[in-house]
Amino acid sequence: MMLSILLLPALVMFGVSFIHTPNARKVLPVTSFAILIPIVELFRLAKPYRLWGDYLVADDLDTYILLISSIVGIGVTLALLTLDKHVEVTETAYRRFYRFFALFWIGLIFSILANHMGIYWIGLEMATLSTVYMIKTNHTPAAHKEAWNYMIVGAIAISLVLFGIILIYASAKPVLGEDAMLFDALLGRAKDIPSPFLFEMGFAIATVGMFVKMGFFPMNLWIAHIERASFYPVAALFSGILESAVMVGFFRFSQIAEVVNRSHLFGFIFIYALLTIFIVAFLIYRAKDFMRLFSLSGIEHMALIALFWVSGGTFAALLHFGAHAFLKPALFLSTGVLESQGRYHIAGALRGYKGKGGAIFGFLVSLFLLAIISLPPSPMFFSELYGFGAMIDMAKQSHNLLAMIGAMLLLLILLSVIFYRFVAIYQSMKYEGETIEKKVHSSELFALVIFAVALLALITPPSMAFLRSVA
Amino acid sequence: MTDFLIGLFLATLITALFTTRLYRLLFWYSINSLTLGLLALFIGSELDDAAMIVSGVITLIVKAVGIPFFLKRLSQRFRLVRQIPPNIKIQYAIMLVPAILVFTFYLAEPISHMVEGNANYVAISISSLFLALLLMMEHSNIAPKIVGFLAMENALFLLGTTATEGMPMLVELGIFFDLLMAIVVVNLLLRHEEVRA
Repeated sequence: MMLSILLLPALVMFGVSFIHTPNARKVLPVTSFAILIPIVELFRLAKPYRLWGDYLVADDLDTYILLISSIVGIGVTLALLTLDKHVEVTETAYRRFYRFFALFWIGLIFSILANHMGIYWIGLEMATLSTVYMIKTNHTPAAHKEAWNYMIVGAIAISLVLFGIILIYASAKPVLGEDAMLFDALLGRAKDIPSPFLFEMGFAIATVGMFVKMGFFPMNLWIAHIERASFYPVAALFSGILESAVMVGFFRFSQIAEVVNRSHLFGFIFIYALLTIFIVAFLIYRAKDFMRLFSLSGIEHMALIALFWVSGGTFAALLHFGAHAFLKPALFLSTGVLESQGRYHIAGALRGYKGKGGAIFGFLVSLFLLAIISLPPSPMFFSELYGFGAMIDMAKQSHNLLAMIGAMLLLLILLSVIFYRFVAIYQSMKYEGETIEKKVHSSELFALVIFAVALLALITPPSMAFLRSVA
Repeated sequence: MTDFLIGLFLATLITALFTTRLYRLLFWYSINSLTLGLLALFIGSELDDAAMIVSGVITLIVKAVGIPFFLKRLSQRFRLVRQIPPNIKIQYAIMLVPAILVFTFYLAEPISHMVEGNANYVAISISSLFLALLLMMEHSNIAPKIVGFLAMENALFLLGTTATEGMPMLVELGIFFDLLMAIVVVNLLLRHEEVRA
């Protein structure tokens, strides 16, 4: 029952996509709000709550991620109302976009709630395939090329994840039988896995697949190209929901890998994340448009989350995770407005908005831009403080203290490069270029307000306490 | 018999790598899926595992017959190029294939004492994955890339069948569902070419 109510908004969206009336889509934001009811109920229920046997189980971690993803979903449905005011989109393409958005949402709800590696993968694959078509709804040769690109690279990434899952399953099947597919059973018996090498090989392959999907080293630019070529809500869905679902998989796999061999896990992720941030920092320095800039910054934050998580800073990772999931879609949706009618200029982008709505829009975008580079009191400021604290604790316990402190210094230098670049861009948006009159629609503004309120809610003491309890 | 079928699986994949015609490539993919389906039926009957027999039958219907037939029809409908010379010269590919095989056997060596069944099966599955990736990389046309993606799915299935003696039925059905959805998406993507032409 609970599962049906969770899936209801996506199912309604799927149904509405077949109705040939332009007004039909106006009901969707209202329906999407309905998903909050079962999620609030899930927060109240005793955990772990079984939604579908051992297959879909809600615990504190996935309920939190589901809430975040649903808020992003609501924001995107609101912003979608005025997509045609900013970009050229036919009515048929619009309906198809909704149809595949619905499939994407269903797939990710399954992925986020999955306690079963197979169901996690099936949901992720369904979301990957539906994204391919969402990218293609933009009828340009670039979008078409990127849709194929996504189909191929995304499929390779997701196949690597399945390959890893099969190896993990093979490593634990002798002790757990078919239950070796369940995350909780695997975590409970991780110490008894008879072939840790096989497990670690599976974990490494699955992690590389997940990281490739999020644009980590060596595939740093592919996701930026895709987000540039597609409509801006696709980028918002990518950063707010898809990356969240991939990350929840990483959280679960790494929990098990930590029990199997903590130092291997930490070394592998630390080197991978550092390499990614090293390359991404310089790519951000050279980024010339908002989409690529935010997309690359998303990769940087995902690498930081992975790093905090394996360093034992689970609270910091979850706080950073929530802040990123709200900030990045908000920035991508704002980009749609800032770049409407194909103007990609950064200089003067924040000028020319008239009236109260315009002033609120300017204020919110400035807020999001400064929050993403962790200026206090952004939640990212606190998460980075706690995250680096956890890394220092880890360094103290390790035998390679100097090497780790050196690596952390390098990380701080790279983050400073990104910080400097964002501040320069913000100043250029505000003080340079010419003023052209631009318009912002109330539904988009409402979506941004929702994200801002959600961000504020994240740093209130009760939600901080909740995140600590999850950790 | 299992060894023979796995050998045949690898042989068909290697042959597919050197093919320069699209229909021939589809034929080799079909044979590759056929060996996979037979393998699942054979191991399933040996282990008396009904789920594996069902997935073997579905593999035969969907992958050995359905998908190649559908891809051939799509290629005719959208007039895809039928000459598909690989970008990597045959003489280099001939050197690459054994290098991949040797590397994967080396990679799987430490697990030879850990896996209950034959560790070579894991090595062959990983090498099939790499060979499928090579198939995707060595062609610039779309159709062989799709076949490469499908061959990669076959390599995953081989691993699931041999190394784990069968994945849970739910997962296998989910993979088939996703595979069919992939074909629908491929159809939609190709339709765009038609609109532009």
